[in-house]
Amino acid sequence: MNKPPFILPGVLRQLCPALGFLAAIVRSLGAEPTPSQLQFFENRIRPVLVQNCYKCHSDQSEKVKGGLWLDTRDGLLKGGDTGPAIVSGDPEHSLLIRAVRYTDPDLQMPPKGPQLPDSVVADLVSWVKMGAPDPRTATVAQKARTESSKSHWAWQPLRKPSPPAVQDSGWARTPVDKFVLAKLEEKGLKPNPPADKRTLIRRATFDLIGLPPTPAEVEAFLKDESPDAFEKVVDRLLASPHYGERWGRHWLDVARYSDTKGQVRRQREDPTYPFAWTYRDYVIRSFNEDKPYNLFIIEQLAADKLPASTRNPTNLCALGFLTVGDRFMEMQNDIINDRIDVVTKGFLGLTVTCARCHDHKFDPIPTKDYYSLFGVFSSCAEPKFEPVIVKNLGGPDYSDYYKKRMDLEQEKDTLEAKLRELRRKGDREALRNTLRDLRQNQTRVSQLELTHPAAPPRAMVLEDLRRPHDSPVLIRGDAGNKGPVVPRQFLEVLSGGYRPPFTNGSGRLDLAWAIVSKQNPITPRVLVNRVWQHHFGEGFVSTPDDFGMRAEQPSHPELLDYLAARFEEDGWSIKKLHRLIMLSSVYQESSANNPRYAQIDPENRLLWRANIRRLEFEALRDSLLAIGGDLDPTMYGRPVDIESEPFSTRRTIYGLVDRSDIADVLVNFDFANPDLPTGKRHDTTVPQQALFLMNSPLVIEQAKRLVALPEFQACPDEESRIDFLYQRIYQRPPRPEEIKLGSEFVASAPESPTTSNNDAAVRPISNEISADRPMRFAQLGPQGRKGRGVMRKRAPLKSWEEYAHALLQANEASFVN
Amino acid sequence: MRNHPLAWGVWCGIDTVMGSDNKYIRDHSPRLEDLFVTRRQFLQRTGMGLGMLGLATLLGEEFLGSKVAAEEIATLAPKAPPLPAKAKHVVHIFAQGAPSHVDTWDPKPALAQYDGKPIPGMDGLAMASPFKFEKKGKSGIEVSEVFPKLGELVDDLTVIRSMYTDIPAHEVATVFMNTGSTRFSRPSLGSWVLYGLGTENQNMPGFISLRPGGTPPGGSSNWQASFLPGLYQGVSINTKAPGVNQIIGNIRNQYTPLDEQRRQLDLVHQLNELHSQNLQKDAQLEARLQAFEMAFKMQTEATDAFDLRKEPDAMRDMYGRTPQGNQMLIARRLIERGVRFVQVWAGGWDHHQDIEERLPERAKEIDQPLAAFINDLKQRNLFDSTLVIWGGEFGRKPVKDRNGNDNPGRDHNAKAFTTVLAGGGVRGGSVYGATDEFGAAAVENKVHIHDLHATILALLGFDHTKLTYRYNGRDFRLTDVAGQVVTPVLA
Repeated sequence: MNKPPFILPGVLRQLCPALGFLAAIVRSLGAEPTPSQLQFFENRIRPVLVQNCYKCHSDQSEKVKGGLWLDTRDGLLKGGDTGPAIVSGDPEHSLLIRAVRYTDPDLQMPPKGPQLPDSVVADLVSWVKMGAPDPRTATVAQKARTESSKSHWAWQPLRKPSPPAVQDSGWARTPVDKFVLAKLEEKGLKPNPPADKRTLIRRATFDLIGLPPTPAEVEAFLKDESPDAFEKVVDRLLASPHYGERWGRHWLDVARYSDTKGQVRRQREDPTYPFAWTYRDYVIRSFNEDKPYNLFIIEQLAADKLPASTRNPTNLCALGFLTVGDRFMEMQNDIINDRIDVVTKGFLGLTVTCARCHDHKFDPIPTKDYYSLFGVFSSCAEPKFEPVIVKNLGGPDYSDYYKKRMDLEQEKDTLEAKLRELRRKGDREALRNTLRDLRQNQTRVSQLELTHPAAPPRAMVLEDLRRPHDSPVLIRGDAGNKGPVVPRQFLEVLSGGYRPPFTNGSGRLDLAWAIVSKQNPITPRVLVNRVWQHHFGEGFVSTPDDFGMRAEQPSHPELLDYLAARFEEDGWSIKKLHRLIMLSSVYQESSANNPRYAQIDPENRLLWRANIRRLEFEALRDSLLAIGGDLDPTMYGRPVDIESEPFSTRRTIYGLVDRSDIADVLVNFDFANPDLPTGKRHDTTVPQQALFLMNSPLVIEQAKRLVALPEFQACPDEESRIDFLYQRIYQRPPRPEEIKLGSEFVASAPESPTTSNNDAAVRPISNEISADRPMRFAQLGPQGRKGRGVMRKRAPLKSWEEYAHALLQANEASFVN
Repeated sequence: MRNHPLAWGVWCGIDTVMGSDNKYIRDHSPRLEDLFVTRRQFLQRTGMGLGMLGLATLLGEEFLGSKVAAEEIATLAPKAPPLPAKAKHVVHIFAQGAPSHVDTWDPKPALAQYDGKPIPGMDGLAMASPFKFEKKGKSGIEVSEVFPKLGELVDDLTVIRSMYTDIPAHEVATVFMNTGSTRFSRPSLGSWVLYGLGTENQNMPGFISLRPGGTPPGGSSNWQASFLPGLYQGVSINTKAPGVNQIIGNIRNQYTPLDEQRRQLDLVHQLNELHSQNLQKDAQLEARLQAFEMAFKMQTEATDAFDLRKEPDAMRDMYGRTPQGNQMLIARRLIERGVRFVQVWAGGWDHHQDIEERLPERAKEIDQPLAAFINDLKQRNLFDSTLVIWGGEFGRKPVKDRNGNDNPGRDHNAKAFTTVLAGGGVRGGSVYGATDEFGAAAVENKVHIHDLHATILALLGFDHTKLTYRYNGRDFRLTDVAGQVVTPVLA
């Protein structure tokens, strides 16, 4: 350190011997830089940084790379994602120096060259050695905050960009197409030709209702040669009641829907939500009615606060959005945190709960904003009795329910009286037993409410406390460490400068209005992105629940804004948004590959083709049932058991979701985790998915049903049988080679199916539950569901059944292209 | 006959007889590698019918799409690592929830002195550990009383007391520990290891994640293959289910005999080939093909591996008949069968309050099972070839976190935590690194997640900068652009 540094240029050379010494002083004393040091900085360092680094590492950057700001002293010292850029006085341990020296293949700056001249590198080294004197005092935190709130795209005011000019105006049917095409043409790419009609109707039908088209629907579409043939298909599908079951499920992912509370203190509490399903039904209905999205938001936050004219008891169920979350063993602060999470991620694409203990590390969300929302939800509570949402009670079923319920109430009263008595006596043993009995009583109440067909449905509402109150900031999230009280109000970053405190009770309704306000541009952006994602497999923003600074830039920012603006203009109608998207050429592209394009844009972010998408578990299971003719189209109502035999053949959305023990078949197929708002499911490929298709009785029974259908039995020859199965399963005729494969397979089947069905494999394993124990509805919930995986002996498949089963297993049945 | 590719359908799975474990591995060696050299070769082997249909002409280069499909079809065949290494298997016990290091492996007497008082330069009041530490083994390393059985084995352990991470939020940090990325979808550690080493048993998944019900934060991100080929994805198993048939749902076909099912599955593959001629999603479709093949084999082999009733009573008792006891025993059965990487979820360590009561419960859940596991591996001569990792996603603060409760706990702390290593290639009976006087931050020989990953790969025979995968025009690696091997922990 005290040795003179190597070569230093011109004027400074004479200063050399002093520099190391000086650096040591600067560091040890934290002294102000001397004028000559500052001169060195201004002459030799600042210009280098401005010319070579600021493009990516300063306020001037479009996007700051690596979280590193080089336009302040603080930024250099704090550094970016990989650590401090410089260690004052120690160039050999300074990443900045390592980067400009180009000796580390992983760290080279400027990244695309040219390398800085040796003399400049030497200047930088000297500068670091002298303690990196630097007059630029703004702090990065300030800058980050300012920079983001100023310029981050997601919270810029929403304007409606004009569709750009394009060359191939024939292809660009709608404004949507122009935005997509302009980007493609920029890269010299052409969109794929349109998909054939069979592919298109299959794609549209799965997208909108989560089921395959029937052969008759395909025929009708093929025959319809009118220019608006596809438009008619889209409108028919949007009008189908199955639409709400498909899109409602997407929303339930976001709403972290579950029929249970999560972990509970088993001695004290029953884990079931007997009425969560009333929220699920509300969601399905809302989608089917094309309820304006802004109203959908308002109802889910504050249906109870709407004027009486618009309030109806069914809509109260909307509040389930807030209340079907985890109960966190009744830790109130965690419950509130979960509600803030679902509201902010779900509607706003913001990870506000990061600010529970500290200011958000990346987004301009200070802790006090978190506690502004905290005050809203800490001013609410669930009522002791949830309101009944049907008017007319009565009938024999109801009497039955009523009697059972009253009996349980009576038992409860008795037990509670006994408890008081025992407490007085201090008999611990008896006390424990009575507590257990009480708990069992509670479970029976829950089960009765959950399963009795005449138990009156109730809305899982939230109500304002009589005295709403602002919350103090809890420093570091610690309830025992209260900071200043903050008013209940909306997030500053989205308020557009106007941010009145909430005054209407808890402020839930005010919050809802702020979320749907014109001042707040992010709500329509987030929704449009979600819808686009479910049509294309990927949204403009690939993280649908996080539009913050850490999200990647949107692939088509202008198109996103255009759609968001149109969405508002169209009265927040989601169905109109579907139409706008689906009637565009970009939606109707084929999914054919183009090896050259695949090199240029392997992720297909520019949408030169349609993405091939795997069906989610719901669509897969429902379509298998539909293909087998086994789908029970009954809508709404109490949850059913889809896990164990006899399987319910209702649509999967009606299956019970137990967040503390999610059915393995759901987990294996990447079902949304009901503990967190989930805008995008994982997409994994694992052997258990194959096992479901290969071995699940649910799947195999569909193959048997297909072959048992009169239409199949009426087919005169092999070829027409194969054709029937292809039409039914894949909505297309088989190709000659496929017919050949099928015929050969059937022909070469063993004479009579072997019965050597490996008895060992079929015998129930000891200490498992006996095979014939019926899976009763009342066993739903964590105590039930023990009948899973019970092995039975079954008749071997006939060759045609086996063939049909193979068709159900093949990829074509699991993918949309 | 056995190795004749056309006979594959007949022998695959059906004639497998459970032998002794080593024989098991030997006999069942390269199978998938035979099959998945290229898709075309695969077809030639399995699909006589396709040739006759003239399909070969359809399988031109265009069909194969990217070159990757033709030349680099992923395989699970075992591979030797580039560098010499002792560890061949990994068992990663994930103490999710962030265990308090100052109450388990990192004693801080200063906290007792300052108990209830402010710590200089820090917010909040110090909280002494409610647990006693005691010197254990020949090495005399201090271990908390909450780990009595593991304490006895301390001479086999390396205790890294200077771990630190980036973001103290459970989900992000959990996924970070498992993938090396806080922001992007990246392959998990197990997937990288499987990619680098393949696996010894071609009839079992090479990477298995065991969870006692529920799903951990981050879900499948923690065992995902991300952009690595799908067959390196971990297979997540719910061990809470009451029997083998429930542990792996639909593990058995109740209708179709295996030989017939083999014939059917060959047809499925042929149908898939015809269907995918025009499509690009090679990687995913390829992964599906492999998933079906693996599923087929698991029908006969996996049930046995997960069937704890095949263990003697004494063994079950040694591990303890508890969820974690069962998981560790299954882990041993998997390692024995040549599974490359086993992830074991043993979470519940998020003790914001009631730490005195609740932390020992969690510790007790894993203490006996993990100690039994280590002893059992030693008896079977598997300890030296198995790297055992125990640890969470970050640590906890030395100060009280009351969080609305009079019985305090500790809040999140990304700046310090402890990870414990044992087994293959690890220097036992040693402590590496140190936190400050109060355990607030790692200060000496700090070890970042990337450094830990680099070290794990080194123990398995890899230079972490060279185990790369080209994706989207760039070579990716587990440690991104960081990571230093912590050589002092290597034996």
